[in-house]
Amino acid sequence: MAGGSISGEAGTRRLLLGNEAIARGAVEAGISAATAYPGTPSTEIVEALAEVAEEYGFYVEWSTNEKVALEVAIGVSMMGLRALTAMKHVGLNVASDPLMSLGYTGVVGGLVIVTADDPNAHSSQNEQDNRIYGMHAYIPVFEPSGVQEAKDMARELFDLSEKYSTAVLLRTTTRLSHSRGEVVFGEVSRPSREARFHRDPERWALLPPYNLRKHRETLERIERLRGDLSSWRFNWFAEGDGDTLVVSAGAAHMYVAEALETLGVKPPLLKVSSVYPFPRGLAEKALEFERIVVVEELEPVVEHQLRVAASEAGKTPKIFGKELFPRVGELNAQLVASGLARALGVKYEPPQGPPAGVELPPRPPTLCPGCGHRAAYYAVKLAAMRARSNPVWANDIGCYTLGFYPPFRMADFTWSMGSALGIGMGISRFSKEPVVAFIGDSTFFHAGVPGLINAVYNRYPIVVVVMDNEVTAMTGHQPHPGSGFGPLGEPRPRVSIEGLAKACGVEFVEVVPAYDVWRARDATERAIRYVREKGLPAVVVARQRCALVELREKRRRGEKVTVYRVVEEKCIGCGVCVDRFACPAIVREGRVVKILPELCAGCGVCATICPAKAIVPAGESA
Amino acid sequence: MRPRSIVIAGVGGQGLLTMGSLLGEALLRQGYKVSVGEVHGLSQRGGSVVVFVRYAEYQPSPVVAPGEGDLLVGLELIEAARRLPLLSRSGLAVVNDFLLPPPAAQRVPSREELVASIGKAVRSVFIEALPLAEKAGSPVAVNMVMLGALAACRSVDVSLESLKSVVSARFRGAVGAINLRALELGYEEALKKLGEEAQG
Repeated sequence: MAGGSISGEAGTRRLLLGNEAIARGAVEAGISAATAYPGTPSTEIVEALAEVAEEYGFYVEWSTNEKVALEVAIGVSMMGLRALTAMKHVGLNVASDPLMSLGYTGVVGGLVIVTADDPNAHSSQNEQDNRIYGMHAYIPVFEPSGVQEAKDMARELFDLSEKYSTAVLLRTTTRLSHSRGEVVFGEVSRPSREARFHRDPERWALLPPYNLRKHRETLERIERLRGDLSSWRFNWFAEGDGDTLVVSAGAAHMYVAEALETLGVKPPLLKVSSVYPFPRGLAEKALEFERIVVVEELEPVVEHQLRVAASEAGKTPKIFGKELFPRVGELNAQLVASGLARALGVKYEPPQGPPAGVELPPRPPTLCPGCGHRAAYYAVKLAAMRARSNPVWANDIGCYTLGFYPPFRMADFTWSMGSALGIGMGISRFSKEPVVAFIGDSTFFHAGVPGLINAVYNRYPIVVVVMDNEVTAMTGHQPHPGSGFGPLGEPRPRVSIEGLAKACGVEFVEVVPAYDVWRARDATERAIRYVREKGLPAVVVARQRCALVELREKRRRGEKVTVYRVVEEKCIGCGVCVDRFACPAIVREGRVVKILPELCAGCGVCATICPAKAIVPAGESA
Repeated sequence: MRPRSIVIAGVGGQGLLTMGSLLGEALLRQGYKVSVGEVHGLSQRGGSVVVFVRYAEYQPSPVVAPGEGDLLVGLELIEAARRLPLLSRSGLAVVNDFLLPPPAAQRVPSREELVASIGKAVRSVFIEALPLAEKAGSPVAVNMVMLGALAACRSVDVSLESLKSVVSARFRGAVGAINLRALELGYEEALKKLGEEAQG
């Protein structure tokens, strides 16, 4: 597909991810800039935009964190231009500081903030419902209920944003972001506007004399939207049979539509995509019914707004919501059919599948063969033993979080971006055992630096191991300030992690190649001893470019990977490589072990740590 | 019609997402409304992965709930067994006869146990995809062999021809040729096995 998945003329039909559809909508709206910090399930939005940035002539960046990403987008809007910023739900927590004030100021150029929520917490620390942020920040929230609608809505929201001078939240969820459906492309508009700074200090400088006035204006704007959105085209009402109204909100509509087909019923249906503020006209329509069933994922956001509207209107309909549909986890058409069947008084037996019939071992995700993190964990564990310590293992968010699983078990906690340092410091103040904090390169730039400065200033005895693989690996290898290239692959300056650490005032800074386990072990042992003796922070940077990137580039250059093999006569079956190092490419075979050549990345770390020296490069004799 | 549901189960890295989007595109070209449900992120790192492909005359939702699946395509035995509860009792499992124990797993059922318990739970056929993929020209083409096998199953309205046309649109040159060959080999093997299964 030349030019990427979202390149094409009006009328093109394509099977797109929900995220790609949102990106296409932004292209059609004529954005000037898109910014993001990667995070599942949001990443593909700006990835898809980066692929077509040159073709359609807009600016794309991977920002250091979500707060910066939103702030850049606000700046672009103040220049009168359209901007999109995308983040995962917890990313909006990081961006919430500028967000709360953005509700007061409003915008000039259309500004769409995509929040990709993760009901079921498939790849997140929680399943927070970011529709509530809209209420909190006075920013209207819109939620598409399908892939085509995601594209169309993303496009239209830029117009709406400008019409009401407000930023908007476009809320998607994992199942929409990562579902493919057919999308018909529309025209790409390239608004011929001049970039101009809209100077208005009384508006943009959030100073005491103006803030209360702005608060008042913001409330008025939300009330205006509450009225006007009743006729917004993505909200609709369909007549039906019976006296029970079904209200389906955003992504839940996918399940409602299917469940009604399954049940063979056609109740009156109100589909709502402007989930905050809940439009006044729609509330009035809903309150014509005595019984109302609200279907929405996670929190009862629409349900509560409807209850308030009923109370204000002095009506007492029976409103069903969270007592029929779970508040925890995600919905599916079966759960929705079960709940609707109860409310509508029809029969429904969910189908039963066959049992697996055999007990299955779990298969948690693992560090890849050749991953430098595995070597670093192995080395740090040895260092802790040699320093006769039993450290508290502070861990953070990224691929290296997988150090949680056996055999490493080196994540006593993981919290939010950068928390390994912050929470680790609190523990280290009172812990007799050392605290060793692991943080990835991208996470270090995102939220680790302020913590490190605090560690220096407030004199914390903490060992910080930066697990540096030179890229944001977990989300699919987006570049960051230490990568040396930009979103289009173009060269960029590199910000040095060790240089930053030294500049923060850390006196103990060592950089080791992660594959060199003995050097990494010795450096970490020195770091633990230094922290113990001086009571000050120490930084070890364990560096090894992501093995997947390395392999891909070798393949591109036509280089062969030299895989390793086990010399059977020498293998003593001690299990260090399988049980303690746990590379997925190494498996037991009877008394000895063998290396699967199709999985081996050729890093050679297993050869280094094998006590019997039984592992050699394939092709070499022992 | 009620939506048809295909569950593709395997281990991250086996090419499940590619299978899902190719199948989705083929069904789309045949005129159906299609939803392909994927999960990205953590799951890709050697973990357990499942992809849903659903189609109907109206837009189906992207999630296959327990007991709903018409067809389970398993690229690995443990993962196929793990997703069995998603299959309807009258569903069909087409499984790659390949066992990949999770690293550092304590108790792993044997290949024979897994084959037996899948066979006991539902109608099933087992295919040795790796030799076929190698015959087609690359061990990586196991996913294409299984995609071809899927086309041989009556419960899914996708033709080998429409799969071949989306595969040749997606992959050019040598890779394209290998993938097309792998599709055909998988299709033929599954036809043969399904025939035997029907007689037995």
